[in-house]
Amino acid sequence: VGFFAQQMLEASYQFMPEAVDTERPKNYAPKDPYPTPSYYPQAPMPGVFDSPAMFEKFDIDTLFFIFYYQQGTYQQYLAARELKKQSWRFHKKYLTWFQRHEEPKAITDDYEQGTYIYFDYEGAWCQRKKTDFRFEYKFLEDSELV
Amino acid sequence: AAKDIDNSVLREQLAFIFAEWIRVYQLPTSNDKDYGAFINSIQQQGVLKGEEISSLFFRVCTEMSVESYIKYKVTNTTAAYQGVDAFVKLIVTLVKHYSDPQGVNHSGAKVTYLTTLLSIIVLVLAQAHEQRRGQFNQKPFLRLFSGLLTEMMTSYESSPGMYFQILTAFSNTFHTLQPLVFPGFTYGWLSLISHRAFMPKLLLAENGKGWASFQKLLVCLFRFLIPFLVGGEMRDTTRALYKGTLRVLLVLLHDFPEFLCDYHFSFCDVIPHTCIQLRNLILSAFPRNMRLPDPFTPNLKVDLLAEIHQPPRVLSDYTSSLSVSMKSDVDTYLRTREHAAFLDNWQEILALDPNNQDLFSGGSKYNVPMINSLVLYVGVNGIAQLHASKSEDNGNSSSSSKDIGDANANRSSSSSSSQIAQTASMDIFQKLLTELDSEGRYLFLSAIANQLRYPNSHTHYFSRATQEKIKEQITRVLLERLIVNRPHPWGLLITFIELIKNPRYAFWDHAFTRIDPDIEKLFDSVSRSVKRSA
Repeated sequence: VGFFAQQMLEASYQFMPEAVDTERPKNYAPKDPYPTPSYYPQAPMPGVFDSPAMFEKFDIDTLFFIFYYQQGTYQQYLAARELKKQSWRFHKKYLTWFQRHEEPKAITDDYEQGTYIYFDYEGAWCQRKKTDFRFEYKFLEDSELV
Repeated sequence: AAKDIDNSVLREQLAFIFAEWIRVYQLPTSNDKDYGAFINSIQQQGVLKGEEISSLFFRVCTEMSVESYIKYKVTNTTAAYQGVDAFVKLIVTLVKHYSDPQGVNHSGAKVTYLTTLLSIIVLVLAQAHEQRRGQFNQKPFLRLFSGLLTEMMTSYESSPGMYFQILTAFSNTFHTLQPLVFPGFTYGWLSLISHRAFMPKLLLAENGKGWASFQKLLVCLFRFLIPFLVGGEMRDTTRALYKGTLRVLLVLLHDFPEFLCDYHFSFCDVIPHTCIQLRNLILSAFPRNMRLPDPFTPNLKVDLLAEIHQPPRVLSDYTSSLSVSMKSDVDTYLRTREHAAFLDNWQEILALDPNNQDLFSGGSKYNVPMINSLVLYVGVNGIAQLHASKSEDNGNSSSSSKDIGDANANRSSSSSSSQIAQTASMDIFQKLLTELDSEGRYLFLSAIANQLRYPNSHTHYFSRATQEKIKEQITRVLLERLIVNRPHPWGLLITFIELIKNPRYAFWDHAFTRIDPDIEKLFDSVSRSVKRSA
């Protein structure tokens, strides 16, 4: 082994890559910066909002909050996936999550009809019941979320 | 001198533009529209026009992002990477907006453009490697390539044709950056070739069309490793690199065992004999759809396994290390079996040509790749001959062999020990055993042991060939591959178990099994465990 190779390998060893070096850049920039006391966290805790396992433990309210207020993020995707797992379905026209309250009264190839629970995200931010609602399948968001 | 001043003025202007880009990139409100607008504006300024200015611009960007990392890394890693990350985004945006000037093949033009950018980065890396020497820091370059891999994956994975071209461009770049040429980039390079947005993507490309390129990269890695591993004492640097290599191989063994199977020959050619576990990892790979019978099953009849008639797939060109004249000599002998002078001169023929320094022999005086090629070539021909001679016999007795189908075909190709013993191929092996000195014989037996893998016709053939002549060295080659930690290749276990269980070999009557109390204890424990499982 030549001296040059050995010397350069030492140089490479000195700057050994770590996992963080090849991670996607996480540029946390607060939307509304505000001077907070230094004993508060200054950046999101790693491993809390980017681990799918964590989303299983979140309250349903939290999931809805993340879904509507973190649009276009990985977090929104994880929230949607978890909601889907908990048998909520997204309505593409009303942009609202629905869940069957009981077995539908009617099921056809194009729609199903019955009583549903939906999440009122525009008004009171709560779950409401809707009877005799027709969920048309063409508005069902049904892409695979893996 | 005037030109130099021009150049430094120009550099300053370009640096200013890049600094402006970093600012745009960092604004939390920026989106793809803003990025596009920025690209348009620098296009209008003529920065991207003409190869000379645009290459200088990318050079300046690379240098600046690397320098800003070096400057800020002490205080804050994420902030230090801002220049590099911004440059990644710039490249991705530029490639996205790039179109073929002739308007014919846009995706092809984008790939060519990316390739040009990659080569500029390589150039800057080479310069830093040369100038900074012991102070060379691989991290910003690693970050740059890693970021590009990830971004290219998210942008182009959905168009497989173009994505494969992109991966190939990266593969070529990594080949240029291999540790033998840039030892200061070694660990970064290993992270890149095993990157989650590179290795699995390349290996998953349809029809295995990325396999050959990845094989080349792995061979580069082994070639670099060899001289560090053969020289006794291990440094921390070597240990770290070896451990990293083991992990990459474990991932491959788990996710892409067929890849390791198909190229096992190329890898065994470059892995030194001291690296038993590394080689065992490769030799233990077997196709995922296969179920291996437990080698400890009592009365296991290997002859009855359907798989042992199937030849394994070998994608390596295993005849390339044989000279044309040698190959024709061997071919002639295999056909005619007439006495040939070359059989008595193995020691000379297989010795390493002292003028050929390109060969990585692992400190041996022998041409190891040539031995490996010879053994596999002769063996494959031996199997073919057995098959042919058997079919001939059957052809005479039954003209309707087709009706009997598989059963007949299987019987005709099965290579039992006694049949193998009388073939031309076996003459060559016997000669090698007697003519070579102990080092040569060791390499020869190792080449045979490299074929003892999952159930297939090679494993079966070479397993029988090994047992023809029992010698201390055979035992050594087999044993040293079994006393290391798992995994152990299936065929190796089968061969060894046969050796100690079959009374025909009178294994325990040999003096060398009792020569040393430690060895005796070792054999006792191995045989006990074999008997217990049986």
